[in-house]
Amino acid sequence: MSEMSKIVRTISSISFPLIIIYGLYIISHGHLTPGGGFQGGAVVASGCAMILVAYGSIWTIGKMKEKNLSLLESIGAICFILLAIFGLGFGAVFFNNFLVGSDFLFGTIPSAGSTIANINTGGVIPLMNFAVGIKVIAGLFAIVLVMAHASSTREGKK
Amino acid sequence: MSKRNFAAVVFFLVIAVFFFFSALMMHPFGVPEKADMDDEIIKGVQIETGTNNGVTSVVFDYRGFDTLGEATILFTAVAGVIMVFRRLKQ
Amino acid sequence: MILEAIHIILPILIVIASIYAVLLKDLIAAAIAVSAMSLMLSLEFYILQAPDVAIAEAGIGACLTTAILIIAIKATKRMEDET
Repeated sequence: MSEMSKIVRTISSISFPLIIIYGLYIISHGHLTPGGGFQGGAVVASGCAMILVAYGSIWTIGKMKEKNLSLLESIGAICFILLAIFGLGFGAVFFNNFLVGSDFLFGTIPSAGSTIANINTGGVIPLMNFAVGIKVIAGLFAIVLVMAHASSTREGKK
Repeated sequence: MSKRNFAAVVFFLVIAVFFFFSALMMHPFGVPEKADMDDEIIKGVQIETGTNNGVTSVVFDYRGFDTLGEATILFTAVAGVIMVFRRLKQ
Repeated sequence: MILEAIHIILPILIVIASIYAVLLKDLIAAAIAVSAMSLMLSLEFYILQAPDVAIAEAGIGACLTTAILIIAIKATKRMEDET
């Protein structure tokens, strides 16, 4: 896929950081507001796909190799499973929320009822949100990038 | 009418009848079915998991195995797509 | 009152967009119809008080699926054959 006109490139360059910040906000506030790792990752991957469509696949694959993306996705999956296995070790069962109630990271317990949102709550859930977010960003963007690059090289051969 | 069109019409009528009866037996709008698990989760979600967002705590804590399966499905799909298109690129 | 009217109008628009997606011979126009259907479905999810599903549907259904479909159409033929 070749690059588009200068107007499209400028507008997508301006709106790309806003989309990325919105997606990262959804991921990092996943335990307070609606959303989570999967939804925020889908938003960030949509922004990256917009950059891919605007700038063309050859420029994008020069900036971000697909090998690095699959490495990032594997890191997210390993972090997710490792957090679950830590629950098996520190608590009693698989997927145990071992950080809640402790003085370590994300350990505060909110009082019951509707309270003011405190980001230092949630136990292991924000860490799992980050792991799943990295995994979904890398996975969905890798699919679009690899498909666009393969179709563009086939187009050039014709 | 060919045999294939006849089969399509019969299938469509059967599905339509099923949808009609399920629409007759639906709950009124905004009144969900009574379930004990909902009350348990809504009562204990802030003390047990420490989150204010109940949906995320159900997805990542109470039903963690489902999220693990979903992550596995996404990983397998990405691996399959990359494998197919890397072969096609050369 | 307005909410009930939106509840009646949005599913009709979703059905119309789906019928267009099936009937159109130009495949890129059909992909755009699928994208519009998905965007209205995400609005319907938001009105039904499921913002999680609405964000996921708007991100995946309206953006990434359209990108993948258009990339696949560019690599193959644009018009659907008359059979």
